[in-house]
Amino acid sequence: MSEPRGLLTGEHFLMGDYAAAEGAILAGCRFFAGYPITPATEIAERMSVRLPQVGGIYIQMEDELASMNAVLGASWAGVKAMTATSGPGFSLMMENLGLGIMLETPCVLVNVQRGGPSTGLPTLVGQQDMMQARWGSHGDYEIIALCPISPQELFDLTIRAFNLSEKYRVPVLIMTDAEVGHMTEKVVIPPPEEIEIVHRPQVRRGDVEPDHFRIFRNGRTAFGNGYISPMTAAGEGYRIHVTGLTHDERGYPVMNARAHEWNIRRLVNKIRAHRDEIIQVEGKDLEDAEVVVVSYGISARTSLWPIELARREGIRVGYLRLITAWPFPDEQIRQLAKRVRAFVVPEINMGQMIREVERCACGHALVLGANRAGGDILEPEHVLNVIRQAAGREVQWERPTGAAFESAEE
Amino acid sequence: MPEEEMHRSERLKHLGYEPPDESDWVTGLHPMDELLRGERLPHIWCQGCGLGTALTTFIGALQWLEKNRGWDLDKVAVVSGIGCTGRIAGYVRLDSFHTTHGRAIPFATGLKLANPELKVVVLSGDGDIAGIGGNHFIHAARRNLEITVVCVNNFNYGMTGGQVGPTTPHEARAVTTQYGNFEYPFNLPYLAAASGASFVARWTVLHARQLEWTLREALTHPGFSFVEVIAPCSTAYARWNPEGRGLDPEGLGRRGLEVMKHYQRVGRTMHGTHPKDAEIRVNEKGEIVEIIEGKFLDDPKPDLKAAIDRQAALAEKWWLAEKKALDSRPRFPKRTDRVPRTEVQLGGFGGQGIISAGRIIGQAAAIYDGLEACFTQSYGPEARGGAAGAQVVISSDPIHHPHLIQPTSMIIMSKEAYSKYVPTLAPGGTLLIDSGLVKLREDHRQDIVTYGLPATQIAEELGNNRAANTVLLGFWTAMVGVVRREAMRQSVTDSVPPKTLDLNLKAFDIGYEEGLRQRAGGHPLVGEG
Ligand SMILES: Cc1ncc(C[n+]2csc(CCOP(=O)(O)OP(=O)(O)O)c2C)c(N)n1
Ligand code: SF4
Repeated sequence: MSEPRGLLTGEHFLMGDYAAAEGAILAGCRFFAGYPITPATEIAERMSVRLPQVGGIYIQMEDELASMNAVLGASWAGVKAMTATSGPGFSLMMENLGLGIMLETPCVLVNVQRGGPSTGLPTLVGQQDMMQARWGSHGDYEIIALCPISPQELFDLTIRAFNLSEKYRVPVLIMTDAEVGHMTEKVVIPPPEEIEIVHRPQVRRGDVEPDHFRIFRNGRTAFGNGYISPMTAAGEGYRIHVTGLTHDERGYPVMNARAHEWNIRRLVNKIRAHRDEIIQVEGKDLEDAEVVVVSYGISARTSLWPIELARREGIRVGYLRLITAWPFPDEQIRQLAKRVRAFVVPEINMGQMIREVERCACGHALVLGANRAGGDILEPEHVLNVIRQAAGREVQWERPTGAAFESAEE
Repeated sequence: MPEEEMHRSERLKHLGYEPPDESDWVTGLHPMDELLRGERLPHIWCQGCGLGTALTTFIGALQWLEKNRGWDLDKVAVVSGIGCTGRIAGYVRLDSFHTTHGRAIPFATGLKLANPELKVVVLSGDGDIAGIGGNHFIHAARRNLEITVVCVNNFNYGMTGGQVGPTTPHEARAVTTQYGNFEYPFNLPYLAAASGASFVARWTVLHARQLEWTLREALTHPGFSFVEVIAPCSTAYARWNPEGRGLDPEGLGRRGLEVMKHYQRVGRTMHGTHPKDAEIRVNEKGEIVEIIEGKFLDDPKPDLKAAIDRQAALAEKWWLAEKKALDSRPRFPKRTDRVPRTEVQLGGFGGQGIISAGRIIGQAAAIYDGLEACFTQSYGPEARGGAAGAQVVISSDPIHHPHLIQPTSMIIMSKEAYSKYVPTLAPGGTLLIDSGLVKLREDHRQDIVTYGLPATQIAEELGNNRAANTVLLGFWTAMVGVVRREAMRQSVTDSVPPKTLDLNLKAFDIGYEEGLRQRAGGHPLVGEG
């Protein structure tokens, strides 16, 4: 349990980025390394003020390569650590995100997505890094990525991100976006005793005979899991070695196919074996749905209006929100595909997560995207029309008036 | 044949040397075994490579510090990047981290900052530290965090087969500069010193004793310390360059030895040399003709962590103030009426407090009126050039769409904002302007209700024109009536600098009264009141 010193329990009117920082602090994060980039800078700014208040360290590094590595270093010193960035910085972090995965290092990386590629649209929204989140670092691995829809959820999911990363010894991504990151809403920071905080199982000085300690071991542990072994920190007397090279249980490099098979299966299976625990979705009106809107982040949130309007037109629309984009909820989509007519996948990109929906729908249901390149959120009438299309209805292009939306909200 | 050109076996014979009997061989524990991961040996390094010496001098320095300075070696962490040198991390029996190419220094920075009890040492190659990781190197020196960076410079990229690197001498040969290196190398001590390092030294591995002594000093130096270790790369660099006599049919070990002899010829110990003059000089063929060695700089200055720690007291004070404000917030009775989705647009230019006014409305609604409120500000090119825009959506229900669909009220404080936003106001909506700054156009919309008051002028008369936004907030509160007056006043109280609180509350009340008056009087500038 984090100490109450420096906490700000209460109701706040907070920007999403700030909420992420507060969530991190409540989760026990005491180290932040970053590099300024719109629209994630406010996370760093908040951390620079808040971390010294709770006895933590904030440091601005020379670039995102350095930020990611400093975070890994801090985590190996036994401290919960985080960084935050956006597109260009996310690209720079990829190699060392891979190092974090290979060293099985708990840490949290927030990507406040903006429009890309390249410098793109620095200040405006995008959801274009979803596949990079999954596959961006070279090699084979599994990753966890969470997608909040509001400042409150950015707060809540940052805590969950830390918990998951500590539990599974894996870097966890928060794939938010400029819209949620820069929006200001009410955020309730609960008293620390109401929040479940997970700490990595950590072997400390004297717990185990150092020669018997294995930093990577398959087998049952405190978490009852086959692939997650307790960690230790530098300075605890275990004289550990870890490497980005393919390694054995002791962390020693072993350059052969067998060791690699063992190594990679471990990284992949520790997540796959716990999909049910990790995957989180929010479903609404799925029982009788003929069309299901599958979305995440800000696009999920803005879909709720058009869904409501479509239901009033008599279309039975269901809603499935991916709170975890990765791992993807294959099974849920597979089950739904057997009984719905179509899926609609709104996202602010040219079609990324839709590929996953298509993969799991396996041709059993139609899959339509509602896409835009970025720079703005999806227009309600756009999504409404794709829902109509999915239901086999007439498409109408006139914009619903404010009044229509107003009553839809009620 | 001169003695120095003979092969070892020949020379030993020439010297009349007899190898010892097997029974005399040293067996058992090597004095350094405790700090080596014996199970990892044999190591991967080539015969004649200088890395072994670099490693043993480092271990020797640690053992000395353990014995004579009471160091707990459990608290020493070694971080390496990628390369032949980077493999050192895998051979020392210490907490050791073999990271990615070039990134050992930032990893070490995180380790050390997160646990200042650790003694963190980076051991890596010249390509790793000065090439791909060069940026981290200069920034670490600048920050002056207490870590020791030992860079083994073998003048090329050993691990990948001897390509040119950032320290390869001008005109020297490497596998990718077979015609000679057309670039100039870094002088690493000079680079470190210029970047702010407070301890800088260089030795070749030939001077193993001196190197070990210097490492002891570097490891105990308060602040960033840098030691360059010049070492033979017998397989790659020595093969291409005269120091190693090129392709020596008699083997790598001999080639390494030739390089060591060369160091003996060209090394010059000059402690205290200005790092700029601490050169590695080469002739026109790229052959090294002089290596200045020694301790060049030892000038401690306050370390980074100490500087960070000094801020803790101030940080604590800030937190206590924020906490106090948070805990002393008044509670207002819950609202029972329903508020439909209400959209407010605010526009003006930077410095007028448009953004903060929007935030005040949102906070009043969300925190003190218990409503849903979503506040966004305009970013992007439109927010440049001085324009400022803020949007607030208020509702009793969850706000799904955070952007404005069609605002029903507007606070406008500049001509530009007037042109930009007024066309988007819903028919029948309420437009509030600072009538001292915004003139209505001749074709001003007749289907909206427009009220004005000279907010900036009023604020000026109160003594601070920056309270103009607060005057308009009072005006808006009375005119539009979605957010309660007390909620707005409290939100103003939370948001303005304490010194200006009275003035701001006065400004708010003037605006509010004026709003009530104009509304009751039914005297809009345009439209039906
Ligand atoms: C990002 C990246 N680029 C390239 C490489 C390939 N690589 C491995 S070691 C190395 C050079 C190492 O040279 P140096 O740092 O001088 O160390 P040495 O091997 O000479 O000790 C390179 C380029 C890599 N591992 N990672
Ligand atoms: S390639 Fe060069 S640096 Fe690498 S081990 Fe061989 S001799 Fe040493």
